[in-house]
Formats: sequence, structure tokens, C-alpha cells
Amino acid sequence: MTGFRLRPQPGGTGAGHGFRLRSRPAGVVDEPYLRRLGLIRVLVAGYATAWTAVRAPHLLDHLDFDGRRFDPVGVLAPLSGPPAGIAVVAGVAATVAFGAAATLGWRYRVTGPALAVSFLAVTTYRSSWGQIFHTENLAALHLAVLAVAPADRHWALRRALLPRHPRRSEPERSAVRSGDDGRWAVRALAVATVAGYVVAGVAKLRNGGAAWLDGEVLVNQVAFDNARKDVLGDVMSPLAGFFVEHRWLARPAVLASMAVELGAPLALLGRRAAGVWSLAAWGFHLAILVLMAIVFPYHLLGLALVPLLPLEDWTSRLRPIGPVSAGRSPFGDPVG
Amino acid sequence: MIGWWRRAGPVAVAAMVLAPAFGDPAVDGYPLSSYPMFSTDRPVRADLVTVVGVTGAGEAVRLSPELIAGADEPILAAATVAGAVRADQSDRLCAEVADRVRAAGPDVAEAVVRTEHVDVVAHVADGAGPLAVTVHARCPVTPPP
Repeated sequence: MTGFRLRPQPGGTGAGHGFRLRSRPAGVVDEPYLRRLGLIRVLVAGYATAWTAVRAPHLLDHLDFDGRRFDPVGVLAPLSGPPAGIAVVAGVAATVAFGAAATLGWRYRVTGPALAVSFLAVTTYRSSWGQIFHTENLAALHLAVLAVAPADRHWALRRALLPRHPRRSEPERSAVRSGDDGRWAVRALAVATVAGYVVAGVAKLRNGGAAWLDGEVLVNQVAFDNARKDVLGDVMSPLAGFFVEHRWLARPAVLASMAVELGAPLALLGRRAAGVWSLAAWGFHLAILVLMAIVFPYHLLGLALVPLLPLEDWTSRLRPIGPVSAGRSPFGDPVG
Repeated sequence: MIGWWRRAGPVAVAAMVLAPAFGDPAVDGYPLSSYPMFSTDRPVRADLVTVVGVTGAGEAVRLSPELIAGADEPILAAATVAGAVRADQSDRLCAEVADRVRAAGPDVAEAVVRTEHVDVVAHVADGAGPLAVTVHARCPVTPPP
């Protein structure tokens, strides 16, 4: 059969040359981390693709900016001036194209790294006009890890090879030879998430000091950010006024945010801890949205948290054969 | 190779992401960041830079981030105006904004780059207006007859 199948294919073989979307290729040891990596690849690469496509008009608006505003950071720091317009257009288009391919897992050895590089370039370009944004950092880091991870062993679209005489594709043979179960990559992705929260918590203590802990800094931050939005013609949070008028709310809010940020490493202890922390972290970003009208889409959509969660279990009903995952933490023995 | 990679990968990622926490807290980067947002102690009375429109009747009206900075991010608009004021290029920014306002067509006669001295708590809680205003540049929007 030639075409696309959404259902996983038992045994990983099929008739005819074509494309198949499979949850478990033939010959690959059924490992929960490889399945989780496949799902994370779909979600994170899909996010990067959608983000770039949706933000393309905004990104291209930068072409009209006065070049004197260009203040390059990160990988663009060596540039003395803004890149040529054609390069920006090509970068945005390439990110969408590579992103679509990587999301599907097609030619992932090439499209995965290409997406990581192009998304990093595009988002760095966005942050190189005098304001560094903090919403896509983690997506860029996750893509970098996924680019070198065995993230295309499951949920990947690839050409069926020699279907009449089932054989393993080269990535599959490589996976078997290397014995790479992907656990290191899931760990690295989870560590990237957790470490980012820790850095943010440390920054609050270093920059705000004791005043941060008593809630005053938070009240003033909420007021400042909303007032700045207002004078710049943007929309203030409708709940900001209530929050600054009821200052007693600030202290528990600060303690909660500190618990989420500095307590993030606890999420690495096991499945239950990861679940509880992930819920708290999601609530943290929801509170930022409600009080400051600031959207962290990657976090609010839960994508920042997926390396910590047993996605492979949640999708196990889509996997008609093979052992059921034990619901593991990448940092310990099976829990829960 | 894979064994080494397995062991080093998570450790390397942790080291890279955590590194900015040990550097200068005022220095930020991308994608490795010190995440300074929301961390600094903002004053209750703050200087907020912006560009407003002034109607023919002399009423100040808020302009959108798109009109101010050419993009829809308010935080980028704030950085753009602050950078122009700091670099003594308010006139140039004012002219750019006037061009965008003229093309967009709102009923505005003049663009004004200004700093509003604001009690941010009172502003957010009660809608209090600026305590003082400093004008950096003003320029006509309506083309001369």
C-alpha cells in the first residue's frame, strides 16, 4: 500500500514502496525512551514549525527596521550589521520546511540538525534588535538536543525499504548496533528544562535580593510591566490592578514561584515528583499570563515539560504490539 | 562513543544552561540566558518612554507597538524608544513613527516621543495619569498643505 497510515504498523513492514507513519519500526528494541523521544520530536519540532510560520510576518517586519537598531546576540554576535533581507526570508522559509520534515521524522539525520540550526538563527535574529526575548530559549535548546538524539526511531515517516524482504533501515540498524535507548537524550532534555528554571530563580535572588522574597519586588514588577504595556498602547492584564491592590497575595505568590524555580530539580527524582512539579510549573506560567499578560507559549502548551512526562504511556493504546512501558523516570528505576 | 555521549550529554546540557547563573547577572544572552526578567527591583515611580499621538484638538492618544516600533511586541517597542532616547536619536524615531502613523491613517496631527514619570502602582490600580512628562521630540504627522 502506498500512502500514509496513522495507525502503527505491526512488525514495521509493509508492501510497496511508499511512506508510513509508524510507532515502532521493525527490529528496534521497544524502549520507552525511544518512544518518548519520537513523541517529543513531533511536539517540539511541530511547535518550532508552527511558531515560525505564525510569526513569519513579524519576523519579516524586521527587514524594515533601521539597521542602526541591530544589536546582535548569541550566534549572530559576530555580525557588524543586519543580515541581508534575502537571508532572513530564506532562513524563515527553511525553518518552516525543515521543521515540517523533522516533525514527520523524514530524513531526520539531516532535517533535525537543520531545524535546530535554522530555528536558533531565526530566534536569535528576533532577539538581536535591542530586546532579548526569553520565550523560545528552551525550544531552541530542546531542538539542539533532539538534533543529535535518536528521535526518529518512532513516530517517524520514512521510506519503506525493501518491503517484500523486510530489512532494517540504516537508522534502525544503527540503533540496534549502538544499543542507544535514548535515555541520555530524555535526561538531557529534562535537565535543560529544569536548569532553566533554576537559573531564573537564582536571578531573582541575585538581582532582587531579600526584597524579592517579601513580595514588594513582585508587586512592583507586575505594576511596572502592565503600566509599560499601557503607555505603549498594549493591553494590560485585567487582574493586575486587583493584584497590586491586594498586596498580601504577593508573598504566597513569591514563595510559590521560588518553590517552582529553585525546586525544579526535584522533578528529576521520579515520575510522581515530575508530575507534581510539571503541574506547578504550568500554573506558574498561567499566573504570569493572568497577572502580566505575558505568554510563554512553549511552556503554557506544556512542551517544556514533556521530557519529564511518560508520554509513551499515554499513547500506548496506539501501539498494538510490544510490551507496555513501565512508566519510568529517566533518572531512576520504574516508579509509579 | 554512545556510552560517552550518554554520560556526558545531560551533564553538558546542565553545565551550559546553568553557566549564566554564575556570571554577571546584568549580562543576558540567547539561547543561554541569565533569565533576568521579573528579577530586578523596579521603582514604584518609574520613567516610561513611549511615543504618543496628538490629535488636532490637542488630545494625546496612545499608539500601538506596531506604530511605535514597526513590530507587535510591546517590550521591543519599549527597547526601541529607550534606545533612541539614550542615543539622542529621538527626532529620527519620531519621524519614523510619523511615517507609520500617516500610512496607517489614524486621526493624529503630531507624534511625540516622551518619557512619562509614572507611579506604576497607582497607574495600574486606579488609572492614575503621569506625574510628569518630558518631551524628547515632536514631529508633524499630517503632511503640510
